[in-house]
Amino acid sequence: MPNMPAPLPQEPDNQDQLLIQISDVFFTYPGSEHPVLNGASLALEPGSFTAIIGGNGSGKSTLCKLFNGLIPHYYSGDFEGEVRIAGLSAQDSTVAELSRKVGYVYQDFENQLVRPTVLDEACFAPLNYGLPDYRARATRALELCGLTPLATRFIWELSGGQKHLLALAGALSLEPDILIVDEPVSQLDPQHARQVYEVLRRLHRIYGKTIIVIEHHAEFIADYCHDVCLIEQGRVVWQLPVHEALNRLEDLHRLGIQPPEVTQTAAALAVLQHAALHGGEQNQQDTVDSLQGGQLNQQDATTYPITTEEAQLYFEHMLSAPIELFGQHKQPEPPPQAALPAAESRTVISLKQAALTYRTIHKTDHPVLRGVSLDIAEGERIALVGNNGAGKSSLLRLIAGIAKPTTGTVSILGQDTRSVSLEQLSRDVAFVFQNPEDMFIEDSVYKEIAHCLNKRGYQGAESTIERMLRAFRLDELRERDARLLSGGQQRRVSLAIGAATTPAVMLLDEPTANLDLATREELISTLQELEQHVRTVLIATHDMQLVSRWATRVIVLHEGCVAADGTASEVFADTALIQRAGLALTQTMELSASLNLWPHCSDPAELAARIHRILLAKESLPHGARPQLV
Amino acid sequence: MNSVMNRKSVYTLTSSQKMMIFVLSMSLYGLSNMFTELIPSLQLGPIELSVEYFAFIPLTLCMLFHPFYAAIGAALGEVIFGELMLGQFGGLGEVEKFLTFSFAMYVAGRLVRNPQNRAQVGIAAITGVIIHQLCSTLVDIGKVWIGVEEFEAVPGLAESVVIVEGVSFLNDVLFSGILFALLPTLYLVPRLYGKIEPLLGIKPRKKDTQYEAAGIISPKLVLTGILLALLAFGAESLSETDWNIAEWDSGWADQAGNTAIWLSLGIAAVIAVIVLLLMRSRKTRQGNTDTGAGGGVPHA
Amino acid sequence: MELVRNWFSKFSLDRIQLELMNTAYGSGHASLSRLDPRGLLIWYLFFAIVPWFVNSLTVLAGMCLFMIVTTILSRVTPFIILVLCLGLIGQVGWLFIISLFFGGDISSALPLLKLTLKLSVVSLASITVFSGLDPEKISDGLLALGIPAAFSFSLSYGYRILPVLFEEFRNVLLSYRLRGKAPSRPGLLHWRIGVYYLKLLVYAFFPLMLATAKRSRTTVEALETRGFSYGLNHPDAKKLKLSHLRFQMRDVLFLTGSAAYLALLFWIG
Repeated sequence: MPNMPAPLPQEPDNQDQLLIQISDVFFTYPGSEHPVLNGASLALEPGSFTAIIGGNGSGKSTLCKLFNGLIPHYYSGDFEGEVRIAGLSAQDSTVAELSRKVGYVYQDFENQLVRPTVLDEACFAPLNYGLPDYRARATRALELCGLTPLATRFIWELSGGQKHLLALAGALSLEPDILIVDEPVSQLDPQHARQVYEVLRRLHRIYGKTIIVIEHHAEFIADYCHDVCLIEQGRVVWQLPVHEALNRLEDLHRLGIQPPEVTQTAAALAVLQHAALHGGEQNQQDTVDSLQGGQLNQQDATTYPITTEEAQLYFEHMLSAPIELFGQHKQPEPPPQAALPAAESRTVISLKQAALTYRTIHKTDHPVLRGVSLDIAEGERIALVGNNGAGKSSLLRLIAGIAKPTTGTVSILGQDTRSVSLEQLSRDVAFVFQNPEDMFIEDSVYKEIAHCLNKRGYQGAESTIERMLRAFRLDELRERDARLLSGGQQRRVSLAIGAATTPAVMLLDEPTANLDLATREELISTLQELEQHVRTVLIATHDMQLVSRWATRVIVLHEGCVAADGTASEVFADTALIQRAGLALTQTMELSASLNLWPHCSDPAELAARIHRILLAKESLPHGARPQLV
Repeated sequence: MNSVMNRKSVYTLTSSQKMMIFVLSMSLYGLSNMFTELIPSLQLGPIELSVEYFAFIPLTLCMLFHPFYAAIGAALGEVIFGELMLGQFGGLGEVEKFLTFSFAMYVAGRLVRNPQNRAQVGIAAITGVIIHQLCSTLVDIGKVWIGVEEFEAVPGLAESVVIVEGVSFLNDVLFSGILFALLPTLYLVPRLYGKIEPLLGIKPRKKDTQYEAAGIISPKLVLTGILLALLAFGAESLSETDWNIAEWDSGWADQAGNTAIWLSLGIAAVIAVIVLLLMRSRKTRQGNTDTGAGGGVPHA
Repeated sequence: MELVRNWFSKFSLDRIQLELMNTAYGSGHASLSRLDPRGLLIWYLFFAIVPWFVNSLTVLAGMCLFMIVTTILSRVTPFIILVLCLGLIGQVGWLFIISLFFGGDISSALPLLKLTLKLSVVSLASITVFSGLDPEKISDGLLALGIPAAFSFSLSYGYRILPVLFEEFRNVLLSYRLRGKAPSRPGLLHWRIGVYYLKLLVYAFFPLMLATAKRSRTTVEALETRGFSYGLNHPDAKKLKLSHLRFQMRDVLFLTGSAAYLALLFWIG
């Protein structure tokens, strides 16, 4: 499909007011054949809050490295074009000079923190520049990021979100005009990601900072950003206000970026209505296909909502009637998954009053699990949810035998984890780490999968490996170093490693964390593939969409105790529980909740179909004939 | 060594690449040092079967990357992780360790021209360990020699020192040297070659790769080493004469004892001042030339 | 004799990490840590060099006593002192025993005792100063005494990166264990288990090297954006960094107190 002509704001008369101006930049990394930036031009005004989006390898990060002069000064490659930052020419300034105007927070921000304590980290940059008021600057920066109470802490005592905020504070201490944040959401859980964005919003609104984020989570873009800039193949394709940008569904689809779920719902509904209008009966699958096929042009000039609030108004307006009267009992949704396993099926995992206590550095005991009793049967698909520190990972580690219960017992297939060695237990329980890279101990995908099979002398290892490579679509990548693969590919490798020995139980820690949305979709289908190899799967996750689409049983942990245990719809129906356990619902769930549709829908296409049916029902009903009154 | 061979491929690293090698080597070897400090030793009489160090880490890195920065990084990693952080910092003793270790590792790295040639890698690895162990054995013997008054007069001491140190030398070379330097290096270098370099954005070294500044650094390093060795030797011989002067049949309850003490205090002060001056001058030189020596970090 | 297996079962990796972290980060509240690091370093320099040239038993014993007091004052974890003691006894004890075979007698014990005392004074002095002081202070002190700025950076970076490395190492080791095979029979003195763990320890560095290489790259790039190399080349930064160091009354008291005590020792000796 032809690209839209790029509406770049490049009027010559407002050049002086521009904070960032990039014109026709070409850049090729040393040793590479292809230019990463291929005639990129961009202009940003002071005080903007811009999201930069684009597919993998489109040059997003490279573009941002122009802003503080890392390119061309730090990376020596072929550079052409002009970059002006806050009135300075990037070519004639050093990285050190530009860095005072441009703060940069890396995607792997942990590696950016270089000092032992929080306050030191914040002082680091101004001290390097010899600024006498370094302490005041650091204190201010910490204040801005809400880290003041933690100033004397060691960095390793902080949570992931706090570390990200500290990286931000470290950049802010130089009081830059521009702040660049590379994919803040990807390494954080949803709660922390929102916290980071709230800080960015405050910096933007109150302190007038210019904020640039590289982001592919459209929901965050919709909630926080003002402008969106799309990069494709090293060029800026367009730069638009957020509303318009997120309605460019075709472009987004082409680059594998999912629009916000509410936008998808509205678009899917429009397709359904369009089809209904033209007499065609379309089933849900077609809707999905046409949505994904990018058939949605904005035939009608209306734009779809991009945030939950907007969507609520949009749909309420559409339904224009108290919705609880419709549909509530009309479309009883089947439980999302197959029936629960029969009661007599074999118990695989059994925890009896299992408690786990960690010794902290201050020599005090910190309980993470306080007496958990659970029985998990063969064939169950279990989602373990709860906020950070609720004990999800600890529970997984107990089951895997990595940690032994302080009191109580954990037994796997009748073996007490305390009496079996980790090597022995891991024949029955496979544990897939949150960070796949921690699992890579060989130098090729093939060897990673083969490692365990060969070490333990499994029969027919060769054919198992081949089967795994095919099942997880790794055939092409078999000789590659897993560390150098993309996030989604790495995840598939880690799943293949776990599944190769056909364990009785598989434990996955945050399998959808730091995956972009397209890869996440892919993962969910990979999980279906996993069913072929492993009977019982436990997932610890923050991802409620995954939970509602996949799990047969949801266990909610809160402060080391089981707060709820039931099906997804049961759990999500309990608003008080969701509040208490700090679960973050997906947009679709929130929307269906605010539209009073029970049980919640988890999938945008499903919600659209449901609204569509309600609308049809409403039309067919005689005026005033309310279903419940008949 | 290979100075005449191929002048074309002088490999110039940017200062940040040097810094990366340095940081990499420092953190890895530092971490391993914490473990080796903690691994209990199997004491069979005077023979101590202990894991002295994981020399394979700096050896591997010195063979794959610019040996100077990898060697300095590793030596500093040991001081920071293995000594300072565990509260075992030996103060001035570390200076000697730092120099001998980084020198030995550097030489080992320089010996290898083709990281895929196993024979070369093996010979270089074991040579590196031997150089280092030889230096530290000599220093250890020296310490007892200084530390014990009338060293020669104590019967059997000289022999036992030589035996204990000799045994530990052999143990370290044969046990740590083979198991934790030679074999792992042979396993790691060919496996990592061509894989680890791209992660740092560095081209893998080739047979004819010549590192820039190699010619400048080694004399400087050697010079510093010799200077410090001379200093140590001077101190030793001075203290030796001290003892001779201060030797008193009845022991130390005399004024002469005090003289000796004040003398040695003076010497200590002089050494301290010289060391400080040396460090200062090295630092300023480093500021001017970018190549850096001693404890310098490749960043200018 | 502590067996390898015992060591591994009693001290889980968790405990080691905890103990190490405690050693590395647990200080900072000791009374000595309030002193000026420059003064302390000079103080240390004295106690690291002088004992080698002293041969009076009284003076050495007095110094050793003094060091024990300061070590206690700096609230060092017992772990460190244990490591030190074992080391010293091993070193000197064997010298003595072997010297007996070469015609030595009980009289060689005295010079060796003195050697032990010297070694103790030197080691305890370094423990007092370097484990009682918080890392930032050490590096400030060293910077003030003219050690290159890169050293003090590396030191505090070490403190920052240790927990990260440790975590990563644990995960890698875990991966090996979860996918590996432990020896089925422990063997005499559990040597098979010992060898298994030692092999793992070495193998673990292969993935660790690759992962650390990846990390170093970001770190160095981020340093660039935060003015690190700028700071190295501009003396103002160093001056500013050290401007908070001040010699105070307690430093003077501490140093003169130490000097007076030493003078007394030498006078008695």
